[in-house]
Amino acid sequence: MPDIAFVKPALPRSGALVLPLPEAAEGAAWNDNLRRAADEATGGAVSRALEAAAFKGRKGQSCTIWAPGAGLSRVVAIGLGKPGEVTPEGAEAAGGAIAPLIVQEREALVAAEGLPPALAAGLALGLTLRAWRFDRYRTQEKEEDKPKLERVAIATADTAAAKAAWMPMRAAADGVALARELVAEPPNVLGPEEMAERCRGLEKHGVEVEVLGPKEMRKLGFGALLGVAQGSAREPRVVVMRWNGASGNGKGRRGRPVAFIGKGVTFDTGGISIKPAQGMEEMKYDMAGAGAVVGLMAALAGRRARVDAVGMVGLVENMPSGTAQRPGDVVKTYSGQTVEVINTDAEGRLVLADLLWYCQERFEPRFMVDLATLTGAIIISLGHEHAGLFSNDDELAQRIEAAGRAVGEACWRMPLGEAYDKQLKSDIADMKNVGGRPGGSITAAQFLQRFVNTKKGPMPWAHLDIAGTAWAQKDLPLAPKGPTGFGVRLLDRLVAEHYEG
Amino acid sequence: MLRVRLRRAERDGAADPRAMPVRQGAVPPRFARAAAAARFTGGVGQVLDLPGPEGRVLLIGAGAPRHATGWEAAGGRAAAAALACGARRLALDARGLPPAAAAALAAGACLRAWRPDRWRTRTEEAPLAALDLLVDDPAATAPFWARAEAAARGCLLARDLTAEPGNRLTTREFAARLEALSEHGIAVDVLGRKRLARAGCGALLAVGRAAAHPPRLAVLRWRGSFAAPPVAFIGKGITFDTGGLSLKPAEGMEAMRGDMAGAAACAGAMLALALRRSPAPAVAVLALAENAIGADAYRPGDVLATLSGRTVEVVDTDAEGRLVLADALHYARTRFAPAAMLDLATLTGAAVTALGHHRAALFGTDAALLAQVAAAGEAVGEPVWPLPIGARHREDLASDIADLRQCATGRLLPDACHAAAFLREFAGGVPWAHLDIAGAARRAEEEPLGPKGPSGFGARLLDALMAMYFEDPDRH
Repeated sequence: MPDIAFVKPALPRSGALVLPLPEAAEGAAWNDNLRRAADEATGGAVSRALEAAAFKGRKGQSCTIWAPGAGLSRVVAIGLGKPGEVTPEGAEAAGGAIAPLIVQEREALVAAEGLPPALAAGLALGLTLRAWRFDRYRTQEKEEDKPKLERVAIATADTAAAKAAWMPMRAAADGVALARELVAEPPNVLGPEEMAERCRGLEKHGVEVEVLGPKEMRKLGFGALLGVAQGSAREPRVVVMRWNGASGNGKGRRGRPVAFIGKGVTFDTGGISIKPAQGMEEMKYDMAGAGAVVGLMAALAGRRARVDAVGMVGLVENMPSGTAQRPGDVVKTYSGQTVEVINTDAEGRLVLADLLWYCQERFEPRFMVDLATLTGAIIISLGHEHAGLFSNDDELAQRIEAAGRAVGEACWRMPLGEAYDKQLKSDIADMKNVGGRPGGSITAAQFLQRFVNTKKGPMPWAHLDIAGTAWAQKDLPLAPKGPTGFGVRLLDRLVAEHYEG
Repeated sequence: MLRVRLRRAERDGAADPRAMPVRQGAVPPRFARAAAAARFTGGVGQVLDLPGPEGRVLLIGAGAPRHATGWEAAGGRAAAAALACGARRLALDARGLPPAAAAALAAGACLRAWRPDRWRTRTEEAPLAALDLLVDDPAATAPFWARAEAAARGCLLARDLTAEPGNRLTTREFAARLEALSEHGIAVDVLGRKRLARAGCGALLAVGRAAAHPPRLAVLRWRGSFAAPPVAFIGKGITFDTGGLSLKPAEGMEAMRGDMAGAAACAGAMLALALRRSPAPAVAVLALAENAIGADAYRPGDVLATLSGRTVEVVDTDAEGRLVLADALHYARTRFAPAAMLDLATLTGAAVTALGHHRAALFGTDAALLAQVAAAGEAVGEPVWPLPIGARHREDLASDIADLRQCATGRLLPDACHAAAFLREFAGGVPWAHLDIAGAARRAEEEPLGPKGPSGFGARLLDALMAMYFEDPDRH
C-alpha cells in the first residue's frame, strides 16, 4: 500500500496529478486552483482534453490525460457528482476509483483542496483500500506489470485537520489489510498454528495475546472445537486477544469489555461430509471471520481506541481422515450441552459454540458479536451485497446495521424464532448441528444462540454470517477481487460510535 | 368447512365432546384436581382429555393470548383434539370470552379441521363436520363471526384449490372454479389463448405452450362500495410444474401440483372480501398455465416478448413463474391503474432456503406498503420477512441478447432476490409488494391452524391488509 501524505497545494513537477472534480453547478464555489495551475502550465491542454472526453464530473466518471506537458506523466480526473453533496462514502468511492488509474506511477498528487479535510482523508482511505494487493506468491511478474505506486500526496488547505482525520482511518485500513492478507494466504501456508503466530504480531501494538493449544482446550472441555480439529494433522488453536484502551493508556482494565468472536477454519474440506471438488479451493477463506476479528483488534489498537475489547478466534482445519469425526458422533461442548453431529461440514457453529460460552463466562462482556463464513444458505438468501445479521438485541442490531451502512459494509437483519429452533431437535443429544435446508442460515444462528444465554439471562449478541461478503468475485469500489476484510471497518465504527469514553 | 352454529348452551342430551379453552393458571375449580394430577396448567399447547359422567371435556391450554392469533391457535388445538377422539361434532365453549375471541376460536377450529379428502373414496373415520360455538350472546358474536368466517372460507378455498392434483385442476378447471365465484358478486373474465395472443402476453403463452391444457389469464373484480383505484392481487397459477425442458428431478415433483398456491390465495382473498361485503374495490389477475414438456415447448435461450414490450432471454424454463407474473403485473397495472399491486407466488427454492416454512419472503418498492403487509401478516399469523433487492441482483440479470435475462446462472444464487428484481421491472411506478410463498404455502408438519399440506397462506393476509388499510374511503 502506498504511503499517504497530506501537503499544501502545489503543482508537482512530475508523476501523476489527480483532479477530483464535481459537476459544474451555477454559483457553486469549488477550490480548483491546482486544476487551473495545471491548465496554465500545459497551455490549456488539460481543459481541452476533458472537454474532448466529455468529462462532466459525474459520479463514477473518470478520464486519463497522458503527458499533457509540464513534466506530468498523466492527469487523472475523477467525477465527484454534485458539489456540496459529496458524502464520506462518495469520497471513499472516488478514492477507490483513482487507485487502479495511478498504480503504475511511483508518485501521485491528488488535488483535494476543494474537499473538506475529513473528506480528503476519506478519499485517501478509499484509495488505500482499493490499492491493496496480495502478490507474495507471484515470482514471474513482468516489471512493467507490477504496481509501482509508493507515495500519494493529498493536497489540502488544512493539512493538520486532514492528518487528524486520517489517523483512525489509517488504523482501520491497516486492520482491513491484515484481515485480507490472512484470508488470502493459501491454506498450506496458514494453518491454525501459523495464524496464531500472526496474532502474536499484535503484541507490538499493545494487544495482550494468549494462545490456547489442544492441551489447554482438553482441560477446559472444548469438545466441539476439538471434534472438528481431530481429523487434521495440524493442531487447533484458540487465540484470546485483549486491547485494554478504556483507561487511555492501553494498560489497566475498566468494567466489562466488548467481545468479538471469529470463526477460523483455516481450510474447510467439509470433513467426512466432504465438499464437491469444484470450488473447494475457495475454502481457504473459511477463516475470514477470525481474520476480521484480528484485523479489528489491530485497528482498535492502532488508533488507541478508548475501549476494553476482547477478540477471540477459534482456529482449526477441517479434514477427513482416519481420526476425523463422523456424522453421527455426539460431542460435548464447553457449555455442557451435547451435540449430535449430522454433517461434519457444519463445523463452524461447533467451533463458535465453545468460544461463545467460554467468552461470556470468562469475560462477562457487554455484548458479543461473532463473525463467520457460516452458511452457503446466506448467499442463497441475500447474495453478496449484504451480510446476514442475526441478533437477540434490537439496539445492538440497529447499531450494527447503521455502522455497516456508514462504511459500506451492509448487513440485512434476518429472523430468529422458536419454530426454527425446533428444527435442531435431536433424537439422541441436546441438539443436532444442522436443521435441514429450509431456513439453513437461521437454524445455524439458532444453534449459536443456544450458547449465548448466561445464568443472568440473555447477553446481547449478534451474529454476522459473512459467507457472501467476505470474498469479492469481482472488483468492488473499495476492494479488488478477492478477500474484502468485511467486518473490520464495520465493527471499528460500531465501537467508535457507541462504546468509547 | 365445519358447519358452525352459535348457541348459548350445548344441545340437550348431546354426547359431543366439549372443548374449553383455559388461560394459563385459570383451570376451572371443578377440574382442578384432575388438572393438577395431569400437570395441566393452561399453558400453550397443553391439552387434557377428561372423559366423565357428564360427557367428554377437553381442556385446551390457551396460555395468555394477547392477540386473536392466540385464540385461533387454541381453537385449532381444540379441533385437533376432537379429531383425535373421532368426534363428528364439537362444542367449543367460549362463554365468558369477548366476542372477538370467541370468533377467533371458531375460525381456528375451522382452519384446523380442514382436510383434503375430496379424492378419498374410503375414509375409515368420520370427519369432524360441525361445531357448536357456545357463547353468552349469539347476536353480539354474530358480526365478529361473519368476518372471521369470511376470512376462513377464503383461506380454505385457497387450500382446496392448492390440494387438487394436476390432472384434476387443469387450467380450464381452475378457470371454471374461479368463474363459479361470480355467485358471490365477483365479476370474472377469463382470457383464453386468442385474446392473450391479441394482447401480446408472450411470456404467459410461451410457458403454457407445450401443455395440452391452454394457458389462461383470469381477471376477478370486486367492485366494493366506493370509487377508488382498486388494490390488485396478482397470482402465479402454474397448475403443474414439470420444470419444462429444464426438467425437475423426479423426487418431490408431485408437490408441484401446488405451484398455483399464489393464484389460489388471491382467489381466496377475493372470496373473503366478497363474503364480508368489503367496501374497498379489489381485482385479482391470475396467470394460469401448466409448465409441461413437449415438442413445441419453450426453450432455454429463447427470447420472449412480454406484454410490456420488453424482451426476456429464457435461461431456465423452470423459472417460469416470474415470466407469467411479468405479463400479469403489466396487465393489472395498465388495465386497472391500481393503488397498489401485490403478487403472490410459490416462486423460488431460494426463499425456502432463506426463510424455511415459517415465513414468506417479502420484497417491494414501497416502504409503507411493505410495513402494512408485514403488519397484516402478524395480525393473522401469516408472518413475512423482508429481503433485499440489491443493485447487484439487477445487474446479474443483464442479457447479451435481450432487455433482460430471466435468471442468473451459477452456484449458490440468491434466486429469490433475482426473481424479485426481475418482477420489479414490470411493476412500473405502482406501489408493489411481492410475496415469495414457496416455503409458506405448504406446512411441513401439522400445526395448530392446519394439517400438514397446503396452508392457504396469503388469503387471510390479503383480507386483513384490505380491512386494516384500504377500507377507509377517505384514506390517503
